[in-house]
Amino acid sequence: MNQDNQGLDFSTVIASTVHDMKNSLAALTQAHSQWLARLPEALRSGSEQGVMEHEFSHLNGMLVQLLGLYKLGVNQLPMCPDYHELDDFIEAQLAAQQNLLQHRDILASWRIETASPLGFFDRELVGSVVANILNNAIRYAGHTLLISVSDEGEQLLLSINDDGPGFPARMLERQQEYVQGIDGKSGSTGLGLYFAARIAALHERNGVKGRIEIANGGVLGGGLFRLYLP
Amino acid sequence: MQVYSQKSFLIVDDFSDFRSSARSMLRELGVRDVDTADSGEQALRMCAQKRYDFILQDFHLGDGKKNGQQVLEDLILDKLISHECVFLMVTAESSQAIVLSALEHEPDAYLTKPFNRIGLAQRLEKLVQRKTLLKPILQALDRGRPAEVLAACAELCKKDPRFAPLCLRYRADALRDLNRVDELEKFLTTIIASRATPWAYAALGNLLYKRNQLAQAQGVYEQALKAFPMMPGLYDGLAEVLVALGESKRAQGVLEEAVRLSPLAVRRQMMLGKLALSNDDYDTSSKAYRHAVNQGQSSRYKDPESNLGLVQALMNKNAGNGLDARTRVEINTVLSEVAKENVEDQGLQVRARLMKAASLQQAGDAETAAKLTEQAMARLEKMDQFFSVEAALVVATQLQKLGQEAAGTSILKGCVETYGDDPKVMQSVAQLTDDPNVLGAVTEAVDLNRQGVRSYQAGQLSEALAQFRRALTLQPKNISIALNTAQALLRIGGEAPPPAIMDECRACLGSVTGIPKSDNRYDRYRKLHIRAFGA
Repeated sequence: MNQDNQGLDFSTVIASTVHDMKNSLAALTQAHSQWLARLPEALRSGSEQGVMEHEFSHLNGMLVQLLGLYKLGVNQLPMCPDYHELDDFIEAQLAAQQNLLQHRDILASWRIETASPLGFFDRELVGSVVANILNNAIRYAGHTLLISVSDEGEQLLLSINDDGPGFPARMLERQQEYVQGIDGKSGSTGLGLYFAARIAALHERNGVKGRIEIANGGVLGGGLFRLYLP
Repeated sequence: MQVYSQKSFLIVDDFSDFRSSARSMLRELGVRDVDTADSGEQALRMCAQKRYDFILQDFHLGDGKKNGQQVLEDLILDKLISHECVFLMVTAESSQAIVLSALEHEPDAYLTKPFNRIGLAQRLEKLVQRKTLLKPILQALDRGRPAEVLAACAELCKKDPRFAPLCLRYRADALRDLNRVDELEKFLTTIIASRATPWAYAALGNLLYKRNQLAQAQGVYEQALKAFPMMPGLYDGLAEVLVALGESKRAQGVLEEAVRLSPLAVRRQMMLGKLALSNDDYDTSSKAYRHAVNQGQSSRYKDPESNLGLVQALMNKNAGNGLDARTRVEINTVLSEVAKENVEDQGLQVRARLMKAASLQQAGDAETAAKLTEQAMARLEKMDQFFSVEAALVVATQLQKLGQEAAGTSILKGCVETYGDDPKVMQSVAQLTDDPNVLGAVTEAVDLNRQGVRSYQAGQLSEALAQFRRALTLQPKNISIALNTAQALLRIGGEAPPPAIMDECRACLGSVTGIPKSDNRYDRYRKLHIRAFGA
């Protein structure tokens, strides 16, 4: 670490601390689930477990996002797109949130309506975006949520829809500002949208960049997040 | 749901908590056969004993130890795992692992900590499905038959064209291995035009570089780096091209960028050390070589040239100022490592001793320097291996500085005899000597060799052979001339060459058995050797 306090770059300090925090959290989550497995059945469920699961996942998502934002800021976010099987990608995203979905008793389903079973994108980056959006959707969903993937012209459209109250009207109106990172006080949801928009835009084909959109409605009537990948 | 009861698993992680947690998840999935290792070194030993169907490899295994990427490279290059094995790289943060990974060997998937049993089960299940789909391709890869890989890819693409993109990489690698260069170029260009990936850029850049289309290669790498500025492998490729173009300063800058992104790479550090040394940037050079030496301890790419380079950089850095105690200790350590670990290599033994003598001379101990020089010269006389050009030039310079003019000249003469057909070599030699016996020795032979090449290309084989033979009589140790003669003989001899031709061919190759493995004609030498000697 840098000994010279005057030369201490605060964002680098945060980034390396976040890295350690992420490791710590991973160990904590792992230990928690092992401990849980040893508890008698009656003690395993309960609302506190749900809170812990949700906050573990939320914390992890925020740390990943924070590291991602730091790397975006210093132009060090690696982008390595490739072909991925869409069902595998979606299933993996849902599996990571499985405990949480169970505790909240939310039915998550997915639908793939694309011509090709493969999509072309950076799996890690798009994965971290979807994880955050899913985590958010689970928080607000009533009973169900739906992930769907379809073709939108030449682009791949990934939507996450829930049956909750939807995004506040103010957020919908000002989504362009979140996306551009203009509103610095918008809290974690706003930051999440900014991150998602940046990751989307890293995906570019023939001059067309990826983008995001939020709305209310969709099949389930609640919040609807759309990610377009060229 | 997959049945894992008959499958073998290996978990590699330095934390026992993680090992036991992963083990219990696997048990819950019905896995019976689970082994664990706490280091990459141990994992490699275990894989040499047993074939695993699945490996869960942690990326960070502690400082100074092999990381997960190095373990994967060792497993693949030493053929310790089948292509059918599912290799999962477990990381706290996968973006870092991706930057540190090499483009040529990628894990089947990354798994980010923390993960749960359901997440693990999902990944394993899906990866097994994919490996089942690709099975004929993977089996052909295990057999080392690129033509069969292509056939298997074609079969899969016909059966289910939707999965064709999963074959792109296998097809490109197979075309490269089959040396179907023109086809490969078209194929890669199409991939890049449609959906560019870092590996496709690297493959195209490398193809153009090997074909000596340097300006095009440079263009491809520059385009690639605009799209993927975080991929260190692409910087390596660009640096290689810039070196070939003679732009060693720019090449150094490019490599420094790559080292900033990914400092844990022995070959990259070594290349940077070498470049900076040639650019007279001794600080950068000694730092890079030092990294290469230290990291080399746990790497398959450990190379004594890094040790020798480090000493050279340290001496140049302190030229005119003697050598301080700390530097002398470092020099002693890295040089004795070369001597100890390369007992059979006469060339390295000579070079390590001369390097030591030169450093002692710089430190002011002329007496010991002289003794060591004598020792080195005694070994030199018995040596039947050729020095590489670079090594020969360094050795000759050192001998001159250590007061052994005659020995230095004889090394240069040997160098000209072996490599004199290359004008660049002649230029370098001319910087070290004016001796007409050295410089003028090759002109006629080189001329004849050039005429021979022209005749050969025009299909006038017997004329070519006559010219090569005359050149070889003048310069019997010249690698190019010897290989050209051998090749012309085999071509004329046809399917079953008569004994006289085979004998002559063997004699040609026999006179250049000292060819260093680092020489870029070594592959060609090996191929001709196999045809002439059957092994």
